[in-house]
Amino acid sequence: MKRILWLATLVLALGSLGMAQKFRTFPEIKQSGKILIGTEGAFPPFNFFDDQNQLKGFDIDIGNAIAKQLGLEPEWKAHAWDTMLIALNQGRFDFVIASHTITAERAKAVDFSKPYYCTGNVIVSKPGGPQTPEELKGKVIGAQLGTTFEEFAKQFDPKELKTYQTNPDAVQDLMLGRIDAWITDQFTAIEAIRSRDLNLQVSGLLNKEEIGMAVAKGNSLLLAALNQALDEIQANGVYEQISMKWFGKDIRCK
Amino acid sequence: MKLLKLLAWAVALTVAVVVGYVVFFAGIEAALRWYFLAVNFTASKVPNFAQSLRLGAEITIKITVISSVTGLFLGLFAGIARLSRNPLFRWPAQFYVWVIRGTPLLVQILFAYNALPFLLEPAWKYLQPLGVPPIQDVLTPYWASFIALSVNVGAYNAEVIRAGIQAIAKGQWEAAMSLGMRPVQVMRYIIVPQAIKIVVPPLVNNVIALLKDSSLASVITLLELVHQAQRIISITFRPVEVYVAVAAIYLILTTVLTFFTDWLEREMARRGAAT
Repeated sequence: MKRILWLATLVLALGSLGMAQKFRTFPEIKQSGKILIGTEGAFPPFNFFDDQNQLKGFDIDIGNAIAKQLGLEPEWKAHAWDTMLIALNQGRFDFVIASHTITAERAKAVDFSKPYYCTGNVIVSKPGGPQTPEELKGKVIGAQLGTTFEEFAKQFDPKELKTYQTNPDAVQDLMLGRIDAWITDQFTAIEAIRSRDLNLQVSGLLNKEEIGMAVAKGNSLLLAALNQALDEIQANGVYEQISMKWFGKDIRCK
Repeated sequence: MKLLKLLAWAVALTVAVVVGYVVFFAGIEAALRWYFLAVNFTASKVPNFAQSLRLGAEITIKITVISSVTGLFLGLFAGIARLSRNPLFRWPAQFYVWVIRGTPLLVQILFAYNALPFLLEPAWKYLQPLGVPPIQDVLTPYWASFIALSVNVGAYNAEVIRAGIQAIAKGQWEAAMSLGMRPVQVMRYIIVPQAIKIVVPPLVNNVIALLKDSSLASVITLLELVHQAQRIISITFRPVEVYVAVAAIYLILTTVLTFFTDWLEREMARRGAAT
């Protein structure tokens, strides 16, 4: 028994060693000339892989614009959604731009930039399916694992909440009838329906969410640089151009 | 009277298993609660986390047990069919083993959940008027995992059983046949009882492997142990503590399984010692 406790303590001690910050500070990044940017790649139209297997999307364009504003060459890394902020703290990327909603829980683990756009959640269902929070009671809801959509769905007292590794998995199950409703971002819903010409209905906005870029906890110089670069591209028209391209309107937070 | 004694024994065994199961998992949940508090998780959320991991562990054990039992029968039929002189039995069995051993389990699980509904859809239209529930209610993550896992372990079991039967000296066959026994009788009374001793250890190995392979079902939303852990990590941002707990639970589950199978092997050695 004693040996097991000793072993467990050793494991936890080693684990906490791994929690030490290993991120690159802004001076180090500037010196290397390259900035590592993390994203998911399965959240169209914000970040996704096109049919040439290239990362595309609103997040990608904004990330590239910010890197350019900072005079750095962007290098993109795609990563699984549910452990991305953990990977960020391990220094696998310098910052993450993957449409993360700024929440108090997440802000304990990472530092968020100023919001770079605002949006809201919607309920997506087949015609005749639930479209309001009241109609969701007792239904099977699907949402991506580790998202604010998952958190949001819990409050509706569903019969079952199914969590998916990616949003496209959830869409597939919605079309197959395994879930009655899919909770997701309004723009993602519209894009999913448009790109595959699906017969689905989208509810009105259910809430307002502020979306931010994330840096490892304590990486304050980089955070300040990102915020400044964001202000600059929002002032000089680059942000508006990118937003118009993807959405036909300016989606920054008003 | 002997029937009554057998019945009483069966009832006692069932009760023991059920009570043991409940006590075991209650113990795991209590241990988890102690552990999460010890590593400083938010106290109000700890009971929820402990319960989630316990539920995940229960699903892991349940799906392992039903897939193992089914896979055992599949392996038995396929293994014996592989040795049949009749190509009508031999070729499908060989094909089954070849395809399943040659493709990754993850692909098989994804296939069972995502592709089977499309493949079965044309046939399902005829079954539905007969009162069969729609395909998405049948091919749930649980049953899709069951299909994939039992088919997978069945193929590996088939090879184990085939090798076990072939290991029995040909002389046994010849002697039995010369006594006038038909092939089916030879199998049943001579070959299989001896082969059992040989095949039990590798079959046990496959069951232990299956317990851990069940973790792959997390990608088709089955709320087994790993998927529950993913949910907790995405809330707490504490991968180290949660993964350590999950690994420990798998270790406990496989160790408990090994106790049973060690007992089984001892029983086999004790009874079927005549070779």
